[in-house]
Amino acid sequence: MPKSQFHRYLLCWLAFGAFMCLVPLFASTGMVRVLIFANFLAIFAMSWDIISGRTGYISFGHPFLIGIAGYTTAILTRHLDAPLYVSIPLAILATLVGGALFFVPALRIRGTYFALVTLAFMELMYQLTQVIAPKITGGTRGLSGLKTIILGAVPNYYLSFFVMFAIAFCLWLIVRTRIGSALAAIRMDEEAVTALGLSTFKLKLFAFGTSAAVAGIGGALYVHYIGSIAPRALFDINFLFTILVAALLGGSGTIAGPILGAYFLTFLLEYLRPFLSGAERYLIYGAITLIVYVLEPRGLHSILERAYARIAPALARGFAR
Amino acid sequence: MINVLIQGLALSGLYALLAVGFTMIFSVGRVLNLAYGVYIMLGGYMYYTAVQVLGLPKIGGFAFAIASGIAFGVLTYTILVRRLEDNPVAVEIATLILAVVMQSLIILIYRPVSKSMWPVVQGVFRYEGVFVTYNLLVAMVVSWVALAGLLLFVRYTRYGRAIQAVSMDRKGAVISGIDPRQMNLATWAISGALGALAGVFFATYTQLNPSMWVGPLIVAVAVVVVGGIGSIIGSLIVAHIIGFMETFTTALIAAELRGVFTMILIIVVLVVAPKGLFGRSEL
Repeated sequence: MPKSQFHRYLLCWLAFGAFMCLVPLFASTGMVRVLIFANFLAIFAMSWDIISGRTGYISFGHPFLIGIAGYTTAILTRHLDAPLYVSIPLAILATLVGGALFFVPALRIRGTYFALVTLAFMELMYQLTQVIAPKITGGTRGLSGLKTIILGAVPNYYLSFFVMFAIAFCLWLIVRTRIGSALAAIRMDEEAVTALGLSTFKLKLFAFGTSAAVAGIGGALYVHYIGSIAPRALFDINFLFTILVAALLGGSGTIAGPILGAYFLTFLLEYLRPFLSGAERYLIYGAITLIVYVLEPRGLHSILERAYARIAPALARGFAR
Repeated sequence: MINVLIQGLALSGLYALLAVGFTMIFSVGRVLNLAYGVYIMLGGYMYYTAVQVLGLPKIGGFAFAIASGIAFGVLTYTILVRRLEDNPVAVEIATLILAVVMQSLIILIYRPVSKSMWPVVQGVFRYEGVFVTYNLLVAMVVSWVALAGLLLFVRYTRYGRAIQAVSMDRKGAVISGIDPRQMNLATWAISGALGALAGVFFATYTQLNPSMWVGPLIVAVAVVVVGGIGSIIGSLIVAHIIGFMETFTTALIAAELRGVFTMILIIVVLVVAPKGLFGRSEL
């Protein structure tokens, strides 16, 4: 990447960060709460995208990873009264172990079958949390009344945004390196990457670890933001659907895409609320995503990029005049 | 014990019917249709609408269910899958999204509450400690008949053999003058019909609710995964493994753990033997 382009992207990131910091000054509390959800969804979508968008190993089990983090910290704080600065890192650690579980099948299978294994992991977890040790996990009803990190909409907004922004920025720095290119190469042709003498084992391990860590951070913080956890809310195809849709709609294989998708979806949800109150909104989400996916598999990000490429010369000419 | 065996046999019959439509698409088109559960759900809901809301006779209910299954199968293929065909992963993602879309549509029309369906055939078969609902027995018989019909169709009719040819070797089929798209379309229609038919019985076996598509889909996935690449006979065997496993778990351990072993089976088989226990065979 040329230096000037690097600086331009950096400028975009800083402008985005600065703008989002100013949002609570003019937005209503309701809007701020909506944005908190958008931030969490963006974290989850980015986590999904590291594995699936970059390396092409489609994960249908991301709720499994998020759920491990959520349940670990919920159980630790609820039953052992562990402080958050202990339980959250432990939760992230537990998610890394979960990510390693994902990694084992990925050594042998890929493509459609890998997605099925991860889906099976999620459904398995859903059934197990209800049956095994319901006293600890809270069974079907889950656990509620969990500790919160900070109170109030605006502080929570800043927390969620800074975490999201930090993750996005770190990921952006990572994918700019040769590791990023190597991961993208795995998606295109894994054998070719091996043939070049690179260890796909290490590269995949890195991608899975990063994805799990991000899912863990997001999951643990999310649970302590909403204050409750239940199997049906987490290990659910609808939750998976929301993550998938956010990443795909925004544009998988990019950093800005999942963020864009998450914000777009959350705002769409807010505007649809007066018309469609319940699960019906998935109808609109899904329909929009399917249309975009069939027409442009690389999502809104790519559509905007092309629009910019078309407008930019005209703009430049305008300024020159 | 005999009771458990007979129940297992009946449930396995239903599962075989549930899975075979999913297997066929995989065998012919080499794609996984995760919206397959929707055909099952659609079958249940359409039968319910025809028989319990509109008061049509049961035959009408079946006709309605199967017709909607075929229509939806054909629509999924022409609108969505054909456009993504060369990419199985894209099809997998798109059909999963489609399934959730259809689930929301069902919620929008029928509300999220569960509805109970009248059994297709009333009554319970009792004989020396054995009791199975006639409904499940009829489901098993229908399933056997449908599967036998399918097998005969695929093996002995020109059209069926053309479908089989596409599943064996797509390029070879094209050279012989077969249009693989047309065969794929036919497969999706048959798959929709079988799914909807199975759905009527599945809905009477459990109940109607908008998330009922997940369970049968997982059974179908397990059958394909464990049975290897879409063979009808392989699917039949694996459907029995899963059916008996579930019945035994329910009877001997706990009903809640019923699905757990199916999931573990999927994971273990895929990790240990990614090509399935019965290897590669054609339809």
